[in-house]
Amino acid sequence: MTVVVRADRLTKFYGPSRGIVDASFEVEAGEVFGFLGPNGAGKSTTIRLMLDLIRPTRGQIELFGLDPRANGLEIRRRVGYVPGDLRLYERLTALDLLRYFAHVRGMRDLGAAPRLVERLELELDRPIRSLSKGNRQKVGLVQALMHEPELLVLDEPTSGLDPLVQQTFEELLRQATGEGRTVFLSSHMLAEVQRVADRVALVRAGRIELVEEVETLRRRAFTRVQVSFAEPPPEDAFSAVQGVRELERRGGSVLFMLEGSADPLVKALAQHHVLSLDVHEADLEDIFLSRYRSESPHAA
Amino acid sequence: MLRNVFLKSLRDLRRGFVWWSVGLAGMSAMMVSVYPSVRDNAALNKLVQDYPDALKGFFGFGGELDYTSAAGYLGVELFSLVVPLLLLIAAIATGSGAIAGEEDRDTLDLLLSLPVSRTRLVLEKLGALVAEVLGLGFVVWLSLWIGALAVGMEIGAAKLAAATVDAVALAVAYGAIALLAGCVTGKRGLAIGITAAAAVAAYLVNSLAPLVGALDAVKQLSPFYHYAIQNPLRAGLDPFHVLVLLAIAATAAAASVLAFRRRDLG
Repeated sequence: MTVVVRADRLTKFYGPSRGIVDASFEVEAGEVFGFLGPNGAGKSTTIRLMLDLIRPTRGQIELFGLDPRANGLEIRRRVGYVPGDLRLYERLTALDLLRYFAHVRGMRDLGAAPRLVERLELELDRPIRSLSKGNRQKVGLVQALMHEPELLVLDEPTSGLDPLVQQTFEELLRQATGEGRTVFLSSHMLAEVQRVADRVALVRAGRIELVEEVETLRRRAFTRVQVSFAEPPPEDAFSAVQGVRELERRGGSVLFMLEGSADPLVKALAQHHVLSLDVHEADLEDIFLSRYRSESPHAA
Repeated sequence: MLRNVFLKSLRDLRRGFVWWSVGLAGMSAMMVSVYPSVRDNAALNKLVQDYPDALKGFFGFGGELDYTSAAGYLGVELFSLVVPLLLLIAAIATGSGAIAGEEDRDTLDLLLSLPVSRTRLVLEKLGALVAEVLGLGFVVWLSLWIGALAVGMEIGAAKLAAATVDAVALAVAYGAIALLAGCVTGKRGLAIGITAAAAVAAYLVNSLAPLVGALDAVKQLSPFYHYAIQNPLRAGLDPFHVLVLLAIAATAAAASVLAFRRRDLG
Protein backbone atom coordinates (compact mmCIF):
# COMPACT_ATOMS: atom_id res chain seq x y z
CA MET A 1 0.00 0.00 0.00
CA THR A 2 1.16 3.50 -0.74
CA VAL A 3 1.36 5.71 2.31
CA VAL A 4 -0.15 9.13 1.68
CA VAL A 5 0.29 10.67 5.12
CA ARG A 6 2.94 9.62 7.58
CA ALA A 7 3.34 11.18 11.02
CA ASP A 8 6.30 10.20 13.10
CA ARG A 9 6.31 11.31 16.72
CA LEU A 10 4.72 14.51 15.51
CA THR A 11 4.59 17.06 18.32
CA LYS A 12 3.33 20.59 18.54
CA PHE A 13 3.15 22.46 21.81
CA TYR A 14 0.91 25.46 22.02
CA GLY A 15 0.57 26.26 25.65
CA PRO A 16 -0.17 23.96 28.50
CA SER A 17 -3.21 22.18 27.11
CA ARG A 18 -3.44 22.56 23.35
CA GLY A 19 -1.45 20.72 20.75
CA ILE A 20 -0.44 17.21 19.86
CA VAL A 21 2.24 14.98 21.38
CA ASP A 22 4.21 12.17 19.75
CA ALA A 23 1.56 11.37 17.18
CA SER A 24 2.56 8.53 14.88
CA PHE A 25 0.24 7.15 12.23
CA GLU A 26 0.07 6.30 8.57
CA VAL A 27 -2.76 6.92 6.16
CA GLU A 28 -2.86 4.62 3.18
CA ALA A 29 -3.93 5.49 -0.33
CA GLY A 30 -7.61 5.02 -1.02
CA GLU A 31 -8.80 4.76 2.55
CA VAL A 32 -10.96 7.00 4.69
CA PHE A 33 -8.94 7.62 7.79
CA GLY A 34 -11.03 8.85 10.70
CA PHE A 35 -9.36 11.15 13.19
CA LEU A 36 -11.70 10.88 16.12
CA GLY A 37 -11.59 12.81 19.33
CA PRO A 38 -13.37 15.37 21.47
CA ASN A 39 -13.00 19.06 20.74
CA GLY A 40 -9.62 20.37 21.80
CA ALA A 41 -7.96 16.96 21.49
CA GLY A 42 -5.42 18.18 18.93
CA LYS A 43 -7.18 17.19 15.73
CA SER A 44 -7.06 20.62 14.07
CA THR A 45 -3.49 21.08 15.23
CA THR A 46 -2.46 17.91 13.42
CA ILE A 47 -4.29 18.97 10.27
CA ARG A 48 -2.76 22.43 10.32
CA LEU A 49 0.67 20.83 10.62
CA MET A 50 -0.10 18.81 7.49
CA LEU A 51 -0.81 21.99 5.54
CA ASP A 52 2.21 23.89 6.83
CA LEU A 53 0.00 26.49 8.51
CA ILE A 54 1.96 25.74 11.68
CA ARG A 55 5.28 23.97 12.16
CA PRO A 56 6.05 21.00 14.39
CA THR A 57 7.88 21.48 17.68
CA ARG A 58 9.53 18.15 16.91
CA GLY A 59 8.83 15.01 15.00
CA GLN A 60 7.82 14.77 11.39
CA ILE A 61 4.87 14.76 9.09
CA GLU A 62 4.99 13.83 5.42
CA LEU A 63 2.35 13.99 2.71
CA PHE A 64 3.04 12.00 -0.44
CA GLY A 65 6.50 11.49 1.04
CA LEU A 66 7.09 15.25 0.96
CA ASP A 67 7.81 17.71 3.75
CA PRO A 68 5.05 20.34 4.05
CA ARG A 69 7.56 23.08 4.77
CA ALA A 70 9.87 22.42 1.84
CA ASN A 71 7.28 21.24 -0.69
CA GLY A 72 4.20 23.12 0.41
CA LEU A 73 3.07 24.14 -3.07
CA GLU A 74 3.41 20.67 -4.51
CA ILE A 75 1.50 19.19 -1.58
CA ARG A 76 -1.26 21.78 -1.59
CA ARG A 77 -1.81 21.31 -5.30
CA ARG A 78 -2.72 17.70 -4.52
CA VAL A 79 -4.79 18.35 -1.39
CA GLY A 80 -8.30 19.66 -0.80
CA TYR A 81 -9.04 21.09 2.62
CA VAL A 82 -12.09 22.07 4.62
CA PRO A 83 -11.05 23.90 7.80
CA GLY A 84 -12.77 23.17 11.09
CA ASP A 85 -13.65 26.79 11.56
CA LEU A 86 -14.65 27.48 7.98
CA ARG A 87 -14.67 31.18 7.12
CA LEU A 88 -15.24 32.32 3.59
CA TYR A 89 -15.11 35.71 1.90
CA GLU A 90 -18.47 37.08 2.98
CA ARG A 91 -18.87 39.57 0.17
CA LEU A 92 -18.22 37.14 -2.66
CA THR A 93 -20.93 34.97 -4.07
CA ALA A 94 -20.34 31.24 -3.86
CA LEU A 95 -19.61 31.22 -7.60
CA ASP A 96 -17.07 34.05 -7.31
CA LEU A 97 -15.32 32.26 -4.47
CA LEU A 98 -15.07 29.06 -6.49
CA ARG A 99 -13.79 31.04 -9.49
CA TYR A 100 -11.20 32.77 -7.33
CA PHE A 101 -9.92 29.54 -5.83
CA ALA A 102 -9.90 27.84 -9.23
CA HIS A 103 -7.76 30.67 -10.61
CA VAL A 104 -5.35 30.56 -7.68
CA ARG A 105 -5.14 26.80 -8.16
CA GLY A 106 -4.27 27.42 -11.80
CA MET A 107 -7.32 25.55 -13.09
CA ARG A 108 -8.63 26.37 -16.55
CA ASP A 109 -12.24 25.96 -15.50
CA LEU A 110 -14.21 25.09 -12.38
CA GLY A 111 -13.27 21.44 -12.66
CA ALA A 112 -15.64 19.15 -10.83
CA ALA A 113 -17.42 22.07 -9.15
CA PRO A 114 -20.53 22.25 -11.39
CA ARG A 115 -21.23 18.57 -10.84
CA LEU A 116 -20.72 18.91 -7.07
CA VAL A 117 -22.86 22.03 -6.89
CA GLU A 118 -25.70 20.21 -8.57
CA ARG A 119 -25.29 17.19 -6.34
CA LEU A 120 -25.31 19.29 -3.18
CA GLU A 121 -28.03 21.63 -4.47
CA LEU A 122 -25.96 24.67 -3.69
CA GLU A 123 -27.12 28.14 -4.74
CA LEU A 124 -24.21 29.86 -6.43
CA ASP A 125 -25.40 33.40 -7.06
CA ARG A 126 -26.01 34.51 -3.50
CA PRO A 127 -23.40 36.32 -1.44
CA ILE A 128 -21.82 34.02 1.09
CA ARG A 129 -22.86 36.29 3.96
CA SER A 130 -26.50 35.39 3.25
CA LEU A 131 -25.87 31.63 3.29
CA SER A 132 -26.75 29.35 6.18
CA LYS A 133 -24.08 27.41 8.04
CA GLY A 134 -24.98 24.31 6.10
CA ASN A 135 -24.72 26.06 2.74
CA ARG A 136 -21.37 27.57 3.65
CA GLN A 137 -20.19 24.12 4.56
CA LYS A 138 -21.28 22.98 1.11
CA VAL A 139 -19.20 25.73 -0.48
CA GLY A 140 -16.29 24.51 1.62
CA LEU A 141 -16.76 20.98 0.39
CA VAL A 142 -17.05 22.01 -3.25
CA GLN A 143 -13.86 24.07 -3.17
CA ALA A 144 -12.05 21.17 -1.51
CA LEU A 145 -13.21 18.66 -4.11
CA MET A 146 -13.33 20.68 -7.32
CA HIS A 147 -9.73 20.04 -8.38
CA GLU A 148 -10.18 16.34 -7.73
CA PRO A 149 -7.34 16.15 -5.21
CA GLU A 150 -5.48 12.98 -4.30
CA LEU A 151 -5.98 13.69 -0.62
CA LEU A 152 -8.96 15.28 1.05
CA VAL A 153 -8.36 16.77 4.47
CA LEU A 154 -11.65 17.45 6.19
CA ASP A 155 -11.82 18.99 9.64
CA GLU A 156 -15.28 18.41 11.09
CA PRO A 157 -16.79 18.81 7.62
CA THR A 158 -20.37 17.88 8.41
CA SER A 159 -21.09 20.38 11.16
CA GLY A 160 -24.16 22.32 10.12
CA LEU A 161 -25.18 19.89 7.39
CA ASP A 162 -28.67 18.50 7.63
CA PRO A 163 -28.97 14.69 7.63
CA LEU A 164 -29.94 14.46 3.96
CA VAL A 165 -26.95 16.49 2.84
CA GLN A 166 -24.79 14.52 5.20
CA GLN A 167 -25.86 11.42 3.36
CA THR A 168 -24.89 13.00 0.05
CA PHE A 169 -21.59 13.98 1.59
CA GLU A 170 -20.93 10.43 2.66
CA GLU A 171 -21.72 9.26 -0.86
CA LEU A 172 -19.23 11.78 -2.20
CA LEU A 173 -16.58 10.40 0.12
CA ARG A 174 -17.27 6.85 -0.98
CA GLN A 175 -17.08 7.95 -4.58
CA ALA A 176 -13.80 9.73 -3.91
CA THR A 177 -12.20 6.68 -2.38
CA GLY A 178 -13.67 4.59 -5.18
CA GLU A 179 -11.65 6.77 -7.55
CA GLY A 180 -8.54 6.08 -5.51
CA ARG A 181 -8.54 9.29 -3.48
CA THR A 182 -7.63 9.30 0.16
CA VAL A 183 -9.65 10.99 2.88
CA PHE A 184 -8.43 12.26 6.21
CA LEU A 185 -11.56 12.99 8.19
CA SER A 186 -11.52 14.57 11.60
CA SER A 187 -14.65 14.35 13.67
CA HIS A 188 -15.91 14.26 17.20
CA MET A 189 -18.84 12.10 16.20
CA LEU A 190 -18.27 8.39 16.47
CA ALA A 191 -21.35 7.54 14.43
CA GLU A 192 -20.12 9.57 11.49
CA VAL A 193 -16.67 8.05 11.54
CA GLN A 194 -18.11 4.57 11.91
CA ARG A 195 -20.24 5.06 8.83
CA VAL A 196 -17.53 6.30 6.50
CA ALA A 197 -14.08 5.44 7.81
CA ASP A 198 -12.02 2.35 7.18
CA ARG A 199 -9.62 2.98 10.01
CA VAL A 200 -9.74 5.37 12.88
CA ALA A 201 -7.26 7.05 15.19
CA LEU A 202 -8.60 7.93 18.62
CA VAL A 203 -7.18 11.22 19.84
CA ARG A 204 -7.53 12.53 23.33
CA ALA A 205 -5.75 15.33 25.16
CA GLY A 206 -3.12 15.65 22.45
CA ARG A 207 -2.28 11.96 22.25
CA ILE A 208 -3.25 9.24 19.84
CA GLU A 209 -4.74 6.55 22.04
CA LEU A 210 -5.00 3.93 19.35
CA VAL A 211 -5.26 3.36 15.63
CA GLU A 212 -7.67 0.64 14.71
CA GLU A 213 -9.86 -0.78 11.98
CA VAL A 214 -13.35 0.60 12.46
CA GLU A 215 -14.74 -2.93 12.41
CA THR A 216 -12.54 -3.98 15.31
CA LEU A 217 -13.49 -0.91 17.23
CA ARG A 218 -17.15 -1.50 16.66
CA ARG A 219 -16.86 -5.03 17.97
CA ARG A 220 -15.13 -3.77 21.04
CA ALA A 221 -17.52 -0.92 21.70
CA PHE A 222 -20.36 -1.45 24.07
CA THR A 223 -23.93 -0.31 24.18
CA ARG A 224 -25.91 1.11 27.05
CA VAL A 225 -29.20 -0.54 27.71
CA GLN A 226 -31.69 1.04 30.05
CA VAL A 227 -34.39 -1.34 31.28
CA SER A 228 -37.45 -0.59 33.42
CA PHE A 229 -38.78 -3.60 35.29
CA ALA A 230 -42.21 -4.00 36.80
CA GLU A 231 -40.48 -5.22 39.95
CA PRO A 232 -36.86 -4.65 40.85
CA PRO A 233 -35.00 -7.83 39.87
CA PRO A 234 -32.72 -9.54 42.43
CA GLU A 235 -29.30 -7.94 42.89
CA ASP A 236 -27.41 -10.75 41.23
CA ALA A 237 -29.99 -11.56 38.55
CA PHE A 238 -27.69 -10.49 35.68
CA SER A 239 -24.25 -10.92 37.18
CA ALA A 240 -23.62 -14.10 35.23
CA VAL A 241 -24.88 -12.89 31.87
CA GLN A 242 -22.13 -12.83 29.26
CA GLY A 243 -20.95 -9.39 28.08
CA VAL A 244 -23.21 -7.54 30.49
CA ARG A 245 -22.40 -5.36 33.44
CA GLU A 246 -24.75 -3.42 35.67
CA LEU A 247 -23.80 0.22 35.78
CA GLU A 248 -26.57 1.75 37.82
CA ARG A 249 -29.76 0.74 39.56
CA ARG A 250 -32.56 3.03 40.63
CA GLY A 251 -35.63 1.24 41.92
CA GLY A 252 -36.97 -0.84 39.07
CA SER A 253 -34.75 0.84 36.49
CA VAL A 254 -31.38 -0.69 35.63
CA LEU A 255 -28.70 0.60 33.30
CA PHE A 256 -26.61 -2.13 31.66
CA MET A 257 -23.42 -1.96 29.72
CA LEU A 258 -23.47 -4.43 26.88
CA GLU A 259 -20.47 -5.63 24.98
CA GLY A 260 -20.73 -7.81 21.91
CA SER A 261 -23.89 -9.71 21.12
CA ALA A 262 -27.19 -8.61 22.66
CA ASP A 263 -28.52 -12.14 22.73
CA PRO A 264 -27.51 -13.23 26.25
CA LEU A 265 -29.01 -10.08 27.75
CA VAL A 266 -32.25 -10.42 25.81
CA LYS A 267 -32.61 -14.00 26.93
CA ALA A 268 -31.95 -13.06 30.52
CA LEU A 269 -34.41 -10.15 30.39
CA ALA A 270 -37.08 -12.49 29.12
CA GLN A 271 -37.25 -14.03 32.58
CA HIS A 272 -38.60 -10.74 33.95
CA HIS A 273 -41.51 -8.41 33.37
CA VAL A 274 -39.97 -5.61 31.30
CA LEU A 275 -41.88 -2.31 31.06
CA SER A 276 -39.56 -0.48 28.70
CA LEU A 277 -36.23 -0.87 26.97
CA ASP A 278 -33.91 1.88 25.74
CA VAL A 279 -30.78 1.13 23.74
CA HIS A 280 -28.10 3.81 23.32
CA GLU A 281 -25.41 3.34 20.75
CA ALA A 282 -21.93 3.65 22.16
CA ASP A 283 -20.55 7.14 21.97
CA LEU A 284 -17.03 8.37 21.86
CA GLU A 285 -16.65 8.48 25.61
CA ASP A 286 -17.78 4.86 25.85
CA ILE A 287 -15.12 3.82 23.37
CA PHE A 288 -12.46 5.48 25.47
CA LEU A 289 -13.90 3.83 28.56
CA SER A 290 -13.82 0.41 26.96
CA ARG A 291 -10.29 1.07 25.81
CA TYR A 292 -9.13 1.83 29.33
CA ARG A 293 -11.14 -1.00 30.80
CA SER A 294 -9.53 -3.48 28.47
CA GLU A 295 -6.11 -2.22 29.46
CA SER A 296 -6.57 -2.09 33.22
CA PRO A 297 -9.50 -3.79 34.89
CA HIS A 298 -9.61 -1.32 37.77
CA ALA A 299 -9.88 1.80 35.69
CA ALA A 300 -13.09 3.42 34.47
CA MET B 1 -11.04 40.72 -10.73
CA LEU B 2 -10.69 37.26 -9.21
CA ARG B 3 -7.81 35.99 -11.29
CA ASN B 4 -5.26 36.15 -8.49
CA VAL B 5 -4.64 37.41 -4.99
CA PHE B 6 -3.46 40.81 -6.23
CA LEU B 7 -6.62 41.52 -8.22
CA LYS B 8 -8.87 40.05 -5.54
CA SER B 9 -7.21 42.35 -3.01
CA LEU B 10 -7.76 45.35 -5.27
CA ARG B 11 -11.37 44.31 -5.64
CA ASP B 12 -11.70 44.24 -1.86
CA LEU B 13 -10.30 47.77 -1.70
CA ARG B 14 -12.50 49.29 -4.37
CA ARG B 15 -15.34 50.48 -2.12
CA GLY B 16 -12.95 52.16 0.31
CA PHE B 17 -11.05 53.59 -2.65
CA VAL B 18 -14.13 55.36 -3.94
CA TRP B 19 -14.81 57.03 -0.60
CA TRP B 20 -11.19 58.00 -0.09
CA SER B 21 -11.13 59.47 -3.60
CA VAL B 22 -14.25 61.50 -3.00
CA GLY B 23 -12.84 62.83 0.27
CA LEU B 24 -9.38 63.62 -1.06
CA ALA B 25 -10.70 65.25 -4.22
CA GLY B 26 -13.25 67.30 -2.29
CA MET B 27 -10.66 68.46 0.21
CA SER B 28 -8.13 69.35 -2.48
CA ALA B 29 -10.72 71.24 -4.50
CA MET B 30 -11.90 73.15 -1.45
CA MET B 31 -8.37 74.15 -0.43
CA VAL B 32 -7.53 75.33 -3.91
CA SER B 33 -10.79 77.23 -4.28
CA VAL B 34 -10.13 79.45 -1.25
CA TYR B 35 -6.55 80.16 -2.34
CA PRO B 36 -7.30 83.42 -4.19
CA SER B 37 -8.96 85.02 -1.16
CA VAL B 38 -6.16 83.90 1.18
CA ARG B 39 -3.47 85.18 -1.21
CA ASP B 40 -5.13 88.59 -1.34
CA ASN B 41 -5.69 88.85 2.39
CA ALA B 42 -2.88 91.16 3.48
CA ALA B 43 -3.79 91.02 7.16
CA LEU B 44 -3.50 87.25 7.27
CA ASN B 45 -0.18 87.29 5.53
CA LYS B 46 1.14 89.87 7.93
CA LEU B 47 0.01 87.69 10.82
CA VAL B 48 1.76 84.63 9.37
CA GLN B 49 4.99 86.54 8.83
CA ASP B 50 4.97 87.43 12.52
CA TYR B 51 4.72 83.77 13.61
CA PRO B 52 7.68 82.56 15.66
CA ASP B 53 10.26 80.77 13.53
CA ALA B 54 9.60 77.51 15.33
CA LEU B 55 6.00 77.58 14.29
CA LYS B 56 6.93 78.46 10.74
CA GLY B 57 9.26 75.47 10.65
CA PHE B 58 6.52 73.29 12.05
CA PHE B 59 4.03 74.14 9.36
CA GLY B 60 6.28 74.96 6.46
CA PHE B 61 6.79 72.21 3.94
CA GLY B 62 10.45 72.25 3.10
CA GLY B 63 10.44 75.97 2.50
CA GLU B 64 9.30 79.31 3.80
CA LEU B 65 5.94 79.60 5.44
CA ASP B 66 3.94 81.79 3.17
CA TYR B 67 0.40 82.01 1.94
CA THR B 68 1.02 84.30 -0.98
CA SER B 69 2.55 81.84 -3.41
CA ALA B 70 0.81 78.76 -4.74
CA ALA B 71 3.68 76.52 -3.60
CA GLY B 72 3.72 78.09 -0.15
CA TYR B 73 -0.01 77.86 0.27
CA LEU B 74 -0.29 74.22 -0.87
CA GLY B 75 2.69 73.32 1.28
CA VAL B 76 1.16 74.72 4.44
CA GLU B 77 -2.43 73.78 3.86
CA LEU B 78 -2.08 70.37 2.24
CA PHE B 79 1.35 68.81 2.01
CA SER B 80 2.78 69.67 5.41
CA LEU B 81 0.21 67.51 7.15
CA VAL B 82 -3.20 66.82 5.66
CA VAL B 83 -2.35 64.99 2.44
CA PRO B 84 0.38 62.76 3.91
CA LEU B 85 -1.78 62.11 6.96
CA LEU B 86 -4.75 60.97 4.91
CA LEU B 87 -2.64 58.86 2.56
CA LEU B 88 -0.92 57.37 5.59
CA ILE B 89 -4.22 56.42 7.18
CA ALA B 90 -5.37 54.76 3.97
CA ALA B 91 -2.05 52.95 3.54
CA ILE B 92 -1.87 51.80 7.16
CA ALA B 93 -5.46 50.57 7.01
CA THR B 94 -4.67 48.51 3.93
CA GLY B 95 -1.21 47.36 5.01
CA SER B 96 -2.32 46.22 8.44
CA GLY B 97 -5.25 44.31 6.99
CA ALA B 98 -3.36 42.70 4.12
CA ILE B 99 -2.27 39.61 6.01
CA ALA B 100 -3.48 40.17 9.57
CA GLY B 101 -6.97 41.06 8.35
CA GLU B 102 -7.34 37.67 6.67
CA GLU B 103 -5.86 36.06 9.74
CA ASP B 104 -8.26 37.88 12.07
CA ARG B 105 -11.21 36.84 9.95
CA ASP B 106 -9.89 33.27 9.73
CA THR B 107 -9.88 33.25 5.93
CA LEU B 108 -6.10 32.83 5.80
CA ASP B 109 -6.10 29.08 6.52
CA LEU B 110 -8.21 28.33 3.50
CA LEU B 111 -6.30 30.73 1.24
CA LEU B 112 -2.99 29.15 2.23
CA SER B 113 -4.37 25.68 1.67
CA LEU B 114 -4.26 26.61 -2.01
CA PRO B 115 -1.00 26.31 -3.91
CA VAL B 116 0.15 29.86 -3.21
CA SER B 117 3.35 30.52 -1.29
CA ARG B 118 3.47 32.81 1.68
CA THR B 119 6.04 34.96 -0.09
CA ARG B 120 3.84 35.38 -3.09
CA LEU B 121 0.84 36.14 -0.90
CA VAL B 122 2.68 38.97 0.87
CA LEU B 123 4.01 40.38 -2.39
CA GLU B 124 0.64 40.34 -4.12
CA LYS B 125 -0.96 42.02 -1.12
CA LEU B 126 1.83 44.59 -1.14
CA GLY B 127 1.20 45.14 -4.83
CA ALA B 128 -2.44 45.94 -4.11
CA LEU B 129 -1.38 48.35 -1.38
CA VAL B 130 1.01 50.19 -3.69
CA ALA B 131 -1.61 50.33 -6.43
CA GLU B 132 -4.18 51.75 -4.03
CA VAL B 133 -1.89 54.49 -2.70
CA LEU B 134 -0.72 55.35 -6.23
CA GLY B 135 -4.34 55.61 -7.28
CA LEU B 136 -5.19 57.90 -4.38
CA GLY B 137 -2.11 59.98 -5.17
CA PHE B 138 -3.31 60.29 -8.72
CA VAL B 139 -6.69 61.51 -7.48
CA VAL B 140 -4.98 64.15 -5.31
CA TRP B 141 -2.75 65.27 -8.15
CA LEU B 142 -5.57 65.42 -10.66
CA SER B 143 -7.92 67.41 -8.45
CA LEU B 144 -5.14 69.84 -7.49
CA TRP B 145 -4.10 70.31 -11.08
CA ILE B 146 -7.66 70.89 -12.30
CA GLY B 147 -8.29 73.20 -9.34
CA ALA B 148 -5.08 75.13 -9.97
CA LEU B 149 -6.04 75.65 -13.59
CA ALA B 150 -9.51 76.75 -12.55
CA VAL B 151 -8.42 79.43 -10.08
CA GLY B 152 -5.30 80.43 -11.96
CA MET B 153 -2.79 79.13 -9.44
CA GLU B 154 0.77 79.61 -10.55
CA ILE B 155 2.02 76.08 -10.19
CA GLY B 156 2.66 73.45 -12.83
CA ALA B 157 1.47 69.89 -13.12
CA ALA B 158 5.03 68.60 -12.64
CA LYS B 159 5.57 70.32 -9.29
CA LEU B 160 2.18 69.08 -8.09
CA ALA B 161 3.13 65.61 -9.22
CA ALA B 162 6.46 65.86 -7.39
CA ALA B 163 4.76 66.72 -4.10
CA THR B 164 2.19 63.97 -4.60
CA VAL B 165 4.81 61.34 -5.43
CA ASP B 166 6.68 62.42 -2.30
CA ALA B 167 3.55 61.86 -0.19
CA VAL B 168 2.82 58.56 -1.95
CA ALA B 169 6.34 57.33 -1.20
CA LEU B 170 5.90 58.23 2.46
CA ALA B 171 2.52 56.49 2.60
CA VAL B 172 3.82 53.37 0.88
CA ALA B 173 6.64 53.22 3.42
CA TYR B 174 4.15 53.32 6.29
CA GLY B 175 1.82 50.92 4.53
CA ALA B 176 4.71 48.47 4.29
CA ILE B 177 5.53 49.00 7.96
CA ALA B 178 1.89 48.24 8.80
CA LEU B 179 2.11 45.15 6.61
CA LEU B 180 5.19 44.09 8.56
CA ALA B 181 3.47 44.67 11.89
CA GLY B 182 0.55 42.56 10.67
CA CYS B 183 2.85 39.79 9.41
CA VAL B 184 4.67 39.68 12.73
CA THR B 185 1.69 39.89 15.10
CA GLY B 186 -1.13 38.44 13.02
CA LYS B 187 -3.43 40.96 14.66
CA ARG B 188 -4.74 43.85 12.62
CA GLY B 189 -5.71 46.14 15.48
CA LEU B 190 -2.32 45.73 17.07
CA ALA B 191 -0.60 46.35 13.74
CA ILE B 192 -2.53 49.60 13.29
CA GLY B 193 -1.65 50.70 16.82
CA ILE B 194 2.04 49.96 16.46
CA THR B 195 2.34 51.66 13.09
CA ALA B 196 0.31 54.70 14.08
CA ALA B 197 2.39 55.15 17.23
CA ALA B 198 5.59 54.84 15.21
CA ALA B 199 4.31 57.38 12.70
CA VAL B 200 3.33 59.93 15.34
CA ALA B 201 6.70 59.53 17.05
CA ALA B 202 8.57 59.96 13.77
CA TYR B 203 6.48 62.98 12.88
CA LEU B 204 7.19 64.65 16.20
CA VAL B 205 10.90 63.88 15.99
CA ASN B 206 11.11 65.66 12.68
CA SER B 207 8.82 68.54 13.63
CA LEU B 208 10.48 69.24 16.96
CA ALA B 209 14.02 68.69 15.73
CA PRO B 210 14.62 72.41 15.09
CA LEU B 211 13.69 73.12 18.72
CA VAL B 212 15.28 70.19 20.52
CA GLY B 213 18.97 69.55 19.97
CA ALA B 214 18.81 65.87 20.87
CA LEU B 215 16.15 65.25 18.25
CA ASP B 216 18.09 67.13 15.63
CA ALA B 217 20.75 64.44 15.77
CA VAL B 218 18.28 61.64 15.03
CA LYS B 219 15.87 63.38 12.70
CA GLN B 220 17.33 61.55 9.70
CA LEU B 221 15.82 58.37 11.10
CA SER B 222 12.38 59.84 10.67
CA PRO B 223 10.66 59.12 7.35
CA PHE B 224 8.94 62.48 7.76
CA TYR B 225 12.30 64.21 7.59
CA HIS B 226 12.97 62.68 4.19
CA TYR B 227 9.45 63.53 3.14
CA ALA B 228 9.48 67.18 4.22
CA ILE B 229 13.07 68.17 3.48
CA GLN B 230 12.60 67.99 -0.25
CA ASN B 231 10.54 71.11 -0.96
CA PRO B 232 9.07 69.43 -4.07
CA LEU B 233 6.47 72.14 -4.74
CA ARG B 234 9.28 74.60 -5.48
CA ALA B 235 12.27 72.46 -6.41
CA GLY B 236 10.82 69.14 -7.54
CA LEU B 237 11.79 65.76 -6.12
CA ASP B 238 15.12 65.07 -4.52
CA PRO B 239 15.94 61.53 -5.72
CA PHE B 240 18.01 60.72 -2.65
CA HIS B 241 15.23 61.33 -0.16
CA VAL B 242 12.64 59.60 -2.33
CA LEU B 243 14.95 56.61 -2.51
CA VAL B 244 15.31 56.62 1.27
CA LEU B 245 11.52 56.40 1.59
CA LEU B 246 11.33 53.63 -0.99
CA ALA B 247 14.19 51.80 0.72
CA ILE B 248 12.25 51.91 3.98
CA ALA B 249 9.26 50.42 2.14
CA ALA B 250 11.37 47.72 0.51
CA THR B 251 13.05 46.81 3.79
CA ALA B 252 9.72 46.56 5.58
CA ALA B 253 8.34 44.44 2.73
CA ALA B 254 11.31 42.07 2.82
CA ALA B 255 11.03 41.79 6.59
CA SER B 256 7.30 41.08 6.17
CA VAL B 257 8.04 38.14 3.91
CA LEU B 258 10.66 36.75 6.30
CA ALA B 259 8.45 37.16 9.35
CA PHE B 260 5.40 35.68 7.68
CA ARG B 261 7.29 32.68 6.31
CA ARG B 262 8.61 31.77 9.73
CA ARG B 263 5.51 32.11 11.78
CA ASP B 264 2.80 29.74 12.99
CA LEU B 265 -0.50 31.12 11.78
CA GLY B 266 -3.16 31.79 14.37
